[in-house]
Amino acid sequence: MHRRSFLQLSLRLSLAATMAGSLVGCTQKTPLKTGVHPWIGYETLYLAEEFDWLPESVQLSKGQSAKNSISGLLSGELDAAALTLDEALRVSAGGVPVRVVAVTNVSVGADMVLTRPGITQLSDLVGRSVGVELDGVSGVMLLAMLDQAGLSTDQISIVDLPVSDHLRAWNEGVIDVSVSYKPIASRLEEAGAVRLFDSSQIPDTIFDLLVVRQEVERKHPEAVADLVRGHFRGLRHLVRNRHDAVYRIASRQGVSPDAVREAMATVMLPQLAANRRYLAPGGRVESVAGRLAHLLKNEGLVEVVPDLDNLCSRDYLPRGPV
Amino acid sequence: MKRWFGGLVISLLLLSGPVLQAKAVIPGASTPQARESLTLAVLDYRSDSRMQDQYAPLVSYLSDRTGIDIELAVHDQEALNRAIATNQVDLFLTNPSHFLLIRSERSLTGVLATLLRDWQGQSTSSIGGLIFTRADRDDLEQLEDLRGASIATPGIHFMGGYQAPALELKTVGIDVRRSSKVLYLGNHDRVIRAVVNGDTDVGFIRSGVLEDRIAQTPELASKLKVINPQNLTGYPFQVSTRLYPEWPLVSLPHVDGRQVRRIASALFALEPEHPAARAAGLAGFSPPADYQSVEHLARTLRVAPYDEAPKITWVDVLHQYRVWVITVSVLFVLLVFTSIWLGRKRRQLAREERRQRELVANWPQPMLMLRGTELVDCNRAAIELLRYSGESSLLGKTLAAFSRDTQPDGEISAQKIDGLLRRTQLGDVVNAEWVFVRSDGSDVWVDMTLAPVYEHGFDVPFILCSWYDITRRKEAEDRMRLAVQVFDNAREAIFITDSHGVVIDTNEAYQQITGRERSESVGSLPPMPVDEGSAILVAARKHGVWSGEFRSRSRDGQRLILNLTLSSVFDDKKQLSHFVGVFSDITRLKESEKKLRTMAHYDALTGLPNRVLFAERLHQSMAQARRHGYQLGVIYIDLDEFKPVNDAFGHDAGDELLIEMGRRMRTVLREEDTLARLGGDEFAAIAVNVDGDDALQALLERLLKAVAEPAWVASHSVEISVSVGYTLYPQAEELDADQLLRQADQAMYQAKRQGRNRYCGFSENLS
Repeated sequence: MHRRSFLQLSLRLSLAATMAGSLVGCTQKTPLKTGVHPWIGYETLYLAEEFDWLPESVQLSKGQSAKNSISGLLSGELDAAALTLDEALRVSAGGVPVRVVAVTNVSVGADMVLTRPGITQLSDLVGRSVGVELDGVSGVMLLAMLDQAGLSTDQISIVDLPVSDHLRAWNEGVIDVSVSYKPIASRLEEAGAVRLFDSSQIPDTIFDLLVVRQEVERKHPEAVADLVRGHFRGLRHLVRNRHDAVYRIASRQGVSPDAVREAMATVMLPQLAANRRYLAPGGRVESVAGRLAHLLKNEGLVEVVPDLDNLCSRDYLPRGPV
Repeated sequence: MKRWFGGLVISLLLLSGPVLQAKAVIPGASTPQARESLTLAVLDYRSDSRMQDQYAPLVSYLSDRTGIDIELAVHDQEALNRAIATNQVDLFLTNPSHFLLIRSERSLTGVLATLLRDWQGQSTSSIGGLIFTRADRDDLEQLEDLRGASIATPGIHFMGGYQAPALELKTVGIDVRRSSKVLYLGNHDRVIRAVVNGDTDVGFIRSGVLEDRIAQTPELASKLKVINPQNLTGYPFQVSTRLYPEWPLVSLPHVDGRQVRRIASALFALEPEHPAARAAGLAGFSPPADYQSVEHLARTLRVAPYDEAPKITWVDVLHQYRVWVITVSVLFVLLVFTSIWLGRKRRQLAREERRQRELVANWPQPMLMLRGTELVDCNRAAIELLRYSGESSLLGKTLAAFSRDTQPDGEISAQKIDGLLRRTQLGDVVNAEWVFVRSDGSDVWVDMTLAPVYEHGFDVPFILCSWYDITRRKEAEDRMRLAVQVFDNAREAIFITDSHGVVIDTNEAYQQITGRERSESVGSLPPMPVDEGSAILVAARKHGVWSGEFRSRSRDGQRLILNLTLSSVFDDKKQLSHFVGVFSDITRLKESEKKLRTMAHYDALTGLPNRVLFAERLHQSMAQARRHGYQLGVIYIDLDEFKPVNDAFGHDAGDELLIEMGRRMRTVLREEDTLARLGGDEFAAIAVNVDGDDALQALLERLLKAVAEPAWVASHSVEISVSVGYTLYPQAEELDADQLLRQADQAMYQAKRQGRNRYCGFSENLS
């Protein structure tokens, strides 16, 4: 269960991706097929499409969740996608090396660690059983938290559970700690869990990204630049015309404008300058990716540590104002 | 105590003074500190009475909450602008676009709050524009259909009523700003009315107005339709555009800060259920929104206050168009370098061209340029050769124009030059001699060269024409030719030798006179007096000329008398280089001369001296006899009986007899003596150096005897005799030759008378 799907209340036919894929074939010059699914950080691309800021070289393939994007990239059906960092690593480890070309948003409070009362500091986590969905963004959260606490994964007992199962496990006493996010986190809090840690304490760690298959990147660098530029134009609207964007996002996601405002409060939308910093060689994305990849390998979630050299590229960031 | 009281009164007066003063002078425009009432101005976007009613409760709410006397003023945009300009307004509530305009004109404290509008329980702080038309307008369905449509709008500085719809139209390529079919009606209700009445095709109003009107007149809903409707979840109104923040409530800077805080707190405290909020259709006020999007909108549309093009700095340009800037800069630098290089090259070329032009213009040899047959250029030398004043006299004319009708070879000038030019145009370099006529009418010979000059862009080549003045050469040639003819045709022989006298050339006459071929003559010496020879050369060298006659022999041995004039020829260095000799054959002349002389002095028949020569000799002999002191005898002889012989045998026989007699007498006389025939049968003789009478008589005896011998004439033997008279010289008296001869004649007569065949001496007694 992927976190992003929680925000998606209206279910759409997963056929949409396939249909989009077939439509692509009609155009003369193959556009960059980009997998995207509803998530506040990816709304920029939807806005860009709505206001016609995406050139013909880019085609959005709207999936229901990240799974569509991951499978699309692995199968070669998609050329690019909006994914979290761990998802991107999974794709790379799956034999389809990808390049990170933009950071769409950074989590600042959306992810949190809830504990039983009495656990008041991070060092108290030693020896505790921690519920975490390693096959999702929670893994990154755990890693970042342990890093901050100065602990290693060996010092805790990891219980790999989908986040949707955490409430049950909590109630059954299987886990003392849950690494989760809203709205599960809200229910856990109602069940007496206490927030020990959230992603606002680990800035610049949980990234949502635009990634491109390296094979495609080499062939269509201009289309990649068009995609990134479209994202930043959407981002400009989202920031500057928030009054308008809120209603449009709410309409697309089928939620209230207030819910959108709330969601926007839990993410930081990095502008160009921040993107340059994140994507720099040896920058934040790269270092987090390195550690995350080893964690995933250690936990057996990926078979190999993908080659992380040149994972990020700043070449596609717009050079001037968008 | 009394003093303290007085001070208090004065203090109170001082404090209240400005208040009283302000109220007395201009109410509402006094110093802000003293104001007790504030004016809240609200933009009248509907109609005056309704707005007044709607916002009056809000104003009284604020007055109650803050304890400040707040008055409401409802103004349209113009009135609001005026009121703000004259400080009659302390707070105002207007649409975001109008707010931007006001903010650009004066400083404001900032936005206190952003209005939260309420509609049937749903609140929003966003505003948009509505584009609508009559429901029956099937031709107007989407934004693109609005091209050329007439539009009703409240005014440019209306957010939803103009700017938001204008941006949407701009995205589909319709520029409302440039449309002439826009009606500005001041408020939204008039816009709705205009569209309903069909005065305009479409109307622009802000979101929420239509819903409000439909609530009052429900049938309106079926009459109108919305173009480009946006389906926005949670947004209470129909809208055709993207959304922007709602109206701001703004305070002016002069309002006291404490009052502003109180008002702001009252605004935020306003609950949706409050009657004041309900009356104004509000859900309250929210903290100030970010009006950046409105600014961007105005900037994009280029409406005031952003109606000027955005200032773009060089840094912006450099940032955005780095590649272009660099490319253009590089190209520009290249252009500059190329221009400089080209300029330098061009100057260099111009210099070279000028130099060449000068060279050609000053070249001493005449040069001209022709296009077709016309002269298009010429240098100074050409003008001077033809003795014209300037090139204008030449240019544009043909070469034939400066020539006589015919050339010396008889060809017509125009035809001949055409032929030459044609050959040149075919690529030949042509040479010809040509005679031009100068401006003064004199002829000038030139050696003319015509060469084609091919120039890019011209099919027919230009023709370069150069002249070489050969007039002198031509004259020299003429002189030479004449000299050669003279040399060849002269009757006189002419020869030229080197400085040693060896012949190097001879003429025809030389060959004829000397009888030598030219080849034989050349290399040998010319005929010269044998004995003088080289002395002639020396004389000619010394005096420049030698002249004289001499004898020579022709090749076949003939005697020649030549008259030679030999002249020295000196070279430029005054050194003798040649001798020129001219001689003529004067042999015949000499012979004729001799013949004439003979005829004058000798008897043609007998060859004896005649009377003339006899007289001369007598003179000479007389002179000699006187000089040498000897005697001479003068003898007069007359044939006796000659006439019968002549008659009998004819004149020829007579002549023969005379010749025979003459010969016989001559033999008797000595060599130095002279025998002459004086005429007829009369002879005379001079016997020089006679030694007395006896000696002479002896001679005469012999003479008579010789004559008396028979003579054979005309096949006949004839015997004749002579009668001889003589006299001697000198005599006692001096006498001349005539007298002397007369004496002898008298003596001869004496002898005749004495019987002939005898001699008789002269004596005085005879006379």
